[in-house]
Amino acid sequence: MKIIGADKLEDCFDGSVVFGYRFDEAWERETIMRLKSLGEVDYFPDFPRPFFRLRSKSGLQVKGVEGESTCRVIYSNEGKEVEKQSFEGLFVSG
Amino acid sequence: MKTIYLNNAATAWPRAPGVIEAVSDTLATPPSHPGRSVSAGTDVVRECRERLAGLLGGVPPSRIVLSTNATGALNLALLGIDLEQEASVVITVTEHNSVLRPLHHLAKKKGIRIITVGLDDTGALDEEAFEAAMASRPALVVMNHASNVTGRVNRVERFLQRAKAIGATTLLDASQTLGHRPVDAEALSADLVAFTGHKGLRGPAGTGGLYVNPALELEQVIVGGTGVRSDLMLHPPDMPMRLEAGTPNVPALAGLAAALRWLAQDGDAFCARERETARSLREGLKHIDGVRVADAASDPERVGIVSFQLRGWDVEEVGFVLSESFGVVCRTGLHCAPLIHKALGTVPAGTIRLSVSGFTTDEDIAVALDAVSSLAQ
Repeated sequence: MKIIGADKLEDCFDGSVVFGYRFDEAWERETIMRLKSLGEVDYFPDFPRPFFRLRSKSGLQVKGVEGESTCRVIYSNEGKEVEKQSFEGLFVSG
Repeated sequence: MKTIYLNNAATAWPRAPGVIEAVSDTLATPPSHPGRSVSAGTDVVRECRERLAGLLGGVPPSRIVLSTNATGALNLALLGIDLEQEASVVITVTEHNSVLRPLHHLAKKKGIRIITVGLDDTGALDEEAFEAAMASRPALVVMNHASNVTGRVNRVERFLQRAKAIGATTLLDASQTLGHRPVDAEALSADLVAFTGHKGLRGPAGTGGLYVNPALELEQVIVGGTGVRSDLMLHPPDMPMRLEAGTPNVPALAGLAAALRWLAQDGDAFCARERETARSLREGLKHIDGVRVADAASDPERVGIVSFQLRGWDVEEVGFVLSESFGVVCRTGLHCAPLIHKALGTVPAGTIRLSVSGFTTDEDIAVALDAVSSLAQ
């Protein structure tokens, strides 16, 4: 799964930044679970279109829907560079 | 997955029957220019004016100014009243940014004073605070007819009557009420009524208007071509063209005329259905553990809007999940009405807003409630 694009969607009041990521293939359970290396993952397989979210201690958040080739990522004000590297690193190495 | 559209307070969908065909037919036929020297076809502009005048309690059609939306109409009113330097203006916490921003623009430009009336313990507009505000001898009182956050219909009659008694001009923002319930300008003591065509009237976006009491003359904000009296170097002073300029959006107005025809015939039953659906949704949400409905009282009259927060979930996240996982289209955040959230205790995140219509089915409501329940578990 490769990142094919990332668009900055919003600058938040608290300094965090929201990005929309696009991938070359859809999120599957396996790729969702890979996010666990970055923090706590909630996965809701019983929803009509399963929702997942990641929350890290530093403030990184990832939200998306299984079966979609996009996701929304929120980088915190304090740790955005490190968080960006960690998140994107999952896919570079994957 | 079926899309369940519960964002009617932003823009109504589906449109009223006949709207799409009317817009399409107008675009497919040679353009007519209503009011211009050479005009063919049905004068939908005149029809809109006449039908809107009827909806507003039988006011003179010549006092209906057509605009692009409620924001355009409110700007015509607020910038056209020509408030004096440091004039006092009374508003409520339920106002939308389409009122707040023009007024703050005037505060910066002319130093007008804005006095804001809050809510009492029951969630209604605070009568004592309003009475205290009258001591400032306001030049203008602006009132939102219904909150776009809670759906509560403000009992504006006595407030506007009182404002007029002390000589203030009164402006009613009927963005969330026209088409949903009666809006009789005279009975409500409203000198000016701003409205939009794409919400309760179920017409196309890009339509709206302003009623101007015959005793009131607004300054011209937009001037230019009118198609008549072309020899004049100044914009004609006669209403309604006094406050209109440029080629009207005839295709959209054709759609609005179609919507108004449908509303005249089927509107009562449609709105009754809408109220009942909204009540079911509100009561259903109140019974889900973890849901906090904003302004939860059951007794006040409301339009089809319910706002809430869900324990353990960010407001924005709930909107994302409802839309992406369940197909329930809603809106989240402050809804362009920041002041009421302070009163409701829903700052800074705001609320999740679901807004129904008479087209919303019982099944739609069941799916939406199931979706919120799934998140609440």
